[in-house]
Amino acid sequence: MTDQGETADTITILLVEDDAPTCWRLQDALVKAGYEVRTAGTLGQARNTLDDAAPRVLLTDLRLPDGHGIELIRETRRRFPDTEIMVISALGDEESVISAITVGATGYLLKDAFPTDIATTVRDLVAGHSPISASIARFIVRRTQTSAEPPPGPALNTAKLTPREIDILWGIAKGFSYAEIASHLGLSRQTVPGHIKNIYRKLEVHTRSEAVFEAVQQGLIKL
Amino acid sequence: MSDVAAKPVVSAWTRRRLRLSRLVPYLLLQALIVIACVLMLRLVPPDDPDDYAVSEFSLVEDGATRSVTLPHFTSSRYSLADPPIYAGTFTRAPGDAKTAWSVFLPRFSNAVEVAVNGVVVLDSRRDDTANRPDRNTPQIVVIPSSLLRDGSNQITLRLFVWGPLKGFLDTVYVGPDDKLRDAYDTRALLFVTVPVVLSAWQSLLAVILAIMWLMRRREPVYGVLALGMLVGAVQAFVPPPVPPAPYPRIAAILLASAPIESALVVVFAVLFFGWRWPRLGLLIFAPGLTIFMVGLFASQPLPRIVFLFLGVPTVGVCLMLLAIIVTRAVIKRQDAASFVFGCAVTIVLTCWFHDMLQVFEIIQDERTFVTRLSYSAMLVAIGAGLTWRFARALNQVDSFAGQLVTRVREAEERLKASFVREEERARAAALANERTRLMRDLHDGLGGQLISIVALSERGNTGATITDAARAALKDLRLVIDSMDDIGGDLMLALGSWRERAAAQLRPHDIALDWRVTSPQGLPLHPELRPWHVIQIVRILDEAVTNAVKHASARHIKVTIETLDGGPDGPYGVISIEDDGKGFALAVNGADNGEALAAGLAARGLRNMKSRAARCGAALDIGSGPTGTSVRLQLPQRFPDNDAASR
Repeated sequence: MTDQGETADTITILLVEDDAPTCWRLQDALVKAGYEVRTAGTLGQARNTLDDAAPRVLLTDLRLPDGHGIELIRETRRRFPDTEIMVISALGDEESVISAITVGATGYLLKDAFPTDIATTVRDLVAGHSPISASIARFIVRRTQTSAEPPPGPALNTAKLTPREIDILWGIAKGFSYAEIASHLGLSRQTVPGHIKNIYRKLEVHTRSEAVFEAVQQGLIKL
Repeated sequence: MSDVAAKPVVSAWTRRRLRLSRLVPYLLLQALIVIACVLMLRLVPPDDPDDYAVSEFSLVEDGATRSVTLPHFTSSRYSLADPPIYAGTFTRAPGDAKTAWSVFLPRFSNAVEVAVNGVVVLDSRRDDTANRPDRNTPQIVVIPSSLLRDGSNQITLRLFVWGPLKGFLDTVYVGPDDKLRDAYDTRALLFVTVPVVLSAWQSLLAVILAIMWLMRRREPVYGVLALGMLVGAVQAFVPPPVPPAPYPRIAAILLASAPIESALVVVFAVLFFGWRWPRLGLLIFAPGLTIFMVGLFASQPLPRIVFLFLGVPTVGVCLMLLAIIVTRAVIKRQDAASFVFGCAVTIVLTCWFHDMLQVFEIIQDERTFVTRLSYSAMLVAIGAGLTWRFARALNQVDSFAGQLVTRVREAEERLKASFVREEERARAAALANERTRLMRDLHDGLGGQLISIVALSERGNTGATITDAARAALKDLRLVIDSMDDIGGDLMLALGSWRERAAAQLRPHDIALDWRVTSPQGLPLHPELRPWHVIQIVRILDEAVTNAVKHASARHIKVTIETLDGGPDGPYGVISIEDDGKGFALAVNGADNGEALAAGLAARGLRNMKSRAARCGAALDIGSGPTGTSVRLQLPQRFPDNDAASR
């Protein structure tokens, strides 16, 4: 497992976390897995580090002493489209995870995850997977179905999700495996992760966030 | 006490002053109206063309001949057999032969026959209205030119008089038609056309009032007035009691109409102005009914005599009663209707006095009776009053409707507010309930785990135990947060999250989680499912997995979720957890200390699982042996509302 980082090019990770013990713990797990980790405790530090070089992966907490992680995610997504972005969350609450996804994050990591799981999640991410949890899937479907009254929080363009994608999300929410979902829906096993990647792409929409950023920069809209 | 007694005195005095302050201006105004009426009566009688007046006549009456000057009264008589004959002469200039000449009679009573040079040219008895003493109808007739001679011509008038009034003949005018016609037209307009218009208006009023009464039977006031107006209209249009009339008796009955009509108007006023009807009030109809009975049974001239001495005064009495009633109404109500009505009554009353003075020849006038004419003022006032009242009623309806709308809105607001309060109370109660449950859950789980972390760190224990306790605490926190989510009765949604947590928990121990859902839709839906049910179920499953990890050294855990047919009450779900460990029964028999402690914990864990299952109506079966442990949780078909009973 630990050999993963050595065979490939060294993967650089920027870890932004203000709580020192948590930061150490995550850093240890990642370094042990062979990643090259730089850390930042504040938004300012993170920006400085980003100016030096673009990391392959950005792991960021949302509540930072000098700002919100959302800003960092948005900036990073704009400046380095190839960087994988992941949110570090204490409880994995859907609201903040989804708002991070809408500005360009691709997944989230629980702060108390086992070291092996931390390394695995980052590896999956770099490999192009888009892990999605049951509660996040449920949250996305809820937002899509109750679009009559706009919920507080980030606006999702979930209306673009196809019925098939929503079915898949329901399956994940109910704890079915990809294989079970595929057989229930009459799909091949390989298409399910493809659909999930589509869902993620629809939620994160690089181009859209760029458009939004431009619009904000030019004073056309206010966020 | 003295204060209370003193108060009414003061208020009565104030009331009297207030009344006086209203009465005096009103009476002054009525006096002004009387003066105006008198002046009008003096001025209004139209000028007649005096150039053509013929007033010197010789009168043959009762066999005697004497010379008289018109206007002239003859004694009243009751037989038409021997009428007084007036004979006179007039001169036509030779130059006037080309123009038409007429005889113009401005005023006479009761009927007249005119002959020129011995040939009858006019008999007023053929004209019904002309014979009514109260109508002042003028007559004009063109003399056929063949009858006229240049120079002196003779004119003879036979005056038919039927008592009790005296016969009256005003100055006769003979002359060129175009010279006399204007004067005639003026009189005809005033004494013929206007009364017809008035009677038409009265009929119309009768119809309107009758409709009003028909639509509003509860208000007899309109019925009474409609009847009065009807009597008046019939009296105006039905032929008068002229002696040669075809039905003299029926005609005589109509004499009773005037007192009955005025009595009805009094009744109307009493009801309209809100008086209490006096006990002997119906006596007001007595004179009219007496005349009616007399007219029905006695022959002429008795009804006429009775009418003159009973009917006419009754009209006057009624007018005075009206004046009193209306004056009181004006003082009490101060409204436009009573004010206008009061002025009209004053006008009619003045005219009635004027007529009385003429009847008794106290004023020697042209004997023009104006009461009937002035009655139009009253009709106009009645019409105006009704319209005013109608408009006011409409306004009241409008404002009432407005008030109603406002009140309904207020009631709605109150209802809404109380509904909101009620909702808030219910929400607060629900919140308090939820809080209590959450507290208990946090106390059972998170609280205990945090305390154990504290205890462990105080003992300087740095090993895996703190980690485990903290991890368990976090897991519990996530569980509580998850269970608060609205899963819409679909337990599968909670199990989905649990699966992820369980898999993450098992991964470091290299235990495989085999997850099997036998039906595509998972478990049956439970609309009655509440967060606290979910917490209990998930805790049971957690406990089972924890036992398998900690005490049974299992390598493989299989979770099976199936839906079974439960008969008429619907299907029920079963969640089974099986491991391939050594079972906890072995642990219980174990010898060394650590294992005994573990066994004790496991036993407590089992007790907890059972009580949790009981709380949410589920059945829990635990089997354990050397080849593994199996936990079977059979869900109820319906989750209980309340867990208080099972405690």
